[in-house]
Amino acid sequence: MAVTEEIYWGVDCGSSEIKVVALDGQGNILLKRKQKTLFPLQDHVRLALAGESGDLSPFRNEGSHDIKEGHKIIATGYGRKYIRFAHDALTEIKAHFIGVQKQCDLKDAYSIIDIGGQDSKIIAACNNKVDQFAINRKCAAGTGAYIEELGHRLEVPLKDMTELARGNDKELSLNSFCTVFSGQEVIKTLMNGERIENIIYALYSSVVKRVMEMTAITTDMVVFSGGVLEYHSELVNMFIRKLEENNANMTCILSPNAQYCGAIGAAEYGFKSS
Amino acid sequence: MSNVMKEYFLDLDRAAKDPARKVAWCTSVGPAEILRAMGFEVFFPENHGAMLGATRVCMETIPVANAHGYSPEICSYLTSDIGAYMKGITPLTKAFGIEEIPRPDVLVYNTNQCKDVMHWFEYYASEFNAPIFGIHPPTNLPEIKPEYIDDVARQFEALIHFLEPVIGHPMNKEKLKSTVALSLEATNLWSDVLNMAQAAPSPMTFFDSTVYMGPIVVLRGTEIAVKYYKDLLKDLKEKIQKNHSAIPKENKRIYWDGMPVWGRLRAQSNIFKENKACVVASTYCNSWIFSDFDPENPLPSMAKAYIKIFINRNDQYKEDYIEKMVKDFKIDGVIFMAARTCPNNSNASYNLPRKLKDKGIPTIIIDGDLCDLRCYSDEQSTTLIEAFLETI
Repeated sequence: MAVTEEIYWGVDCGSSEIKVVALDGQGNILLKRKQKTLFPLQDHVRLALAGESGDLSPFRNEGSHDIKEGHKIIATGYGRKYIRFAHDALTEIKAHFIGVQKQCDLKDAYSIIDIGGQDSKIIAACNNKVDQFAINRKCAAGTGAYIEELGHRLEVPLKDMTELARGNDKELSLNSFCTVFSGQEVIKTLMNGERIENIIYALYSSVVKRVMEMTAITTDMVVFSGGVLEYHSELVNMFIRKLEENNANMTCILSPNAQYCGAIGAAEYGFKSS
Repeated sequence: MSNVMKEYFLDLDRAAKDPARKVAWCTSVGPAEILRAMGFEVFFPENHGAMLGATRVCMETIPVANAHGYSPEICSYLTSDIGAYMKGITPLTKAFGIEEIPRPDVLVYNTNQCKDVMHWFEYYASEFNAPIFGIHPPTNLPEIKPEYIDDVARQFEALIHFLEPVIGHPMNKEKLKSTVALSLEATNLWSDVLNMAQAAPSPMTFFDSTVYMGPIVVLRGTEIAVKYYKDLLKDLKEKIQKNHSAIPKENKRIYWDGMPVWGRLRAQSNIFKENKACVVASTYCNSWIFSDFDPENPLPSMAKAYIKIFINRNDQYKEDYIEKMVKDFKIDGVIFMAARTCPNNSNASYNLPRKLKDKGIPTIIIDGDLCDLRCYSDEQSTTLIEAFLETI
């Protein structure tokens, strides 16, 4: 009798992108892929799961009972509740923690800084579980949406930001909590003839401030996760400088597959709970 | 329940249209017993604010008040209610066929909970050209000193003198005693009702209690409230005997601090239900327990009961109170709802959640508001609550 192939899918349905990861029956990462978050959401999640093969047959209907035998799908991210064919769902807090823990295998207490499209999180973990967490409150400042919005206003592609920030020669700051008011500060600074490099640096600096004021980090290790930090390496450097300034014993690492930590965590959850 | 509240509002409406009867407006933890004992029918604008919130009509009325100079940052009960008045609408119309809120013959407020009630009542006093009286007790108290009680008891005496010409007769002391006795009986029954949630599994949730609490807010000092809570208590005891669980397979017990998000009661209730968690106790519903009432000593005992309330205390008292509730109700975690427009009813701003966390009590803060849903994110709150429940 043929052995049924086991595949554990993690779907991180974020505000900007849908990230998909598959684990094999031993928990190894088989594939990872992403696409823009589009609507109807379920259809696009299904397309993301199918990938280039376009084979939707394992994910064909509404209910999880219609998923092909051996396949298990766990959803996370802000759209997790809208993926009705998923077998289970967990919050991005738990998913990021599991994703980081699987890949980094840390024994001592550590904190995760994750910056997503519409929220930022600090997760404190010890004894192999989430001890506490904080999410940005009330507004988008300090999130990917904030960087995206101001990048749009400045007409600077996101991919160019890190290099521009490295070219700063002045430490400007943006003070506002509010994305719109920050935009106004940026325009005013531009009107005063400020260099774009210094403005991008100030924008990153503002993100660091907004995240660091969410909650005090009390661990000696910090792991960075999430797409924003994977693609804005100068932002990571600025976080590291700030964390080391506060704690001389600080060790910081960028998680492998940082953008996929949530999806990996979801898939791992499915793998471990089966 | 719906009949009790319906009869209350219909009678208020009749009273407002009857020149022989007088209507007093009172704050929700104001001296309702004095007003009832003197023969006033009592209307509570905060209850009206909660109805505007629960029906989400407030989202049409808050912007009206904002546009007329009432800031989006102040009490959204106030802005909901004044906006509704400006717009000429009330949820009482759809619920009970009542065209308008009852016109006040007098307004009485108590700043034991906040000063926004003063601004709120002053608006209506001016609008209706009605007499107004404010009780201004000492606030944010670490302890209840005899001089505080004397101060407020004297203000109550002054209130009675102020009200006598409005109602047209002096206070009947025996009537005051019997009214306080009824209030005491109702409030003790309310306390017993809330304590039924100490049972595990609990027969009721905080979301049920926000409905059950109607009579203790608007009908204190009446036989109606006493009967209602006797019946409810009997019903809950029967549920406990039958091991009825409000949340099927209850496996986590939560304490809710702060106001309800009135327009999201059902949605929030569902989040907890889906996660097999029961919100078994709250600061808010317990705020109408006035065990210090003493019919033989009505004014000083009312003074003590009304300044002793949680919202009028310092942070150490609040910390000790929540800690005791956590023990009594076998709580697994505490949710602090930080209401954007009600800082006095939000206890997350001065490090209280972290202090409790340091004592081993898991806590989380969610941002929201009692009425103004512009200050509330469904997605973020759901994630926070679910992640919290995953963690504890």
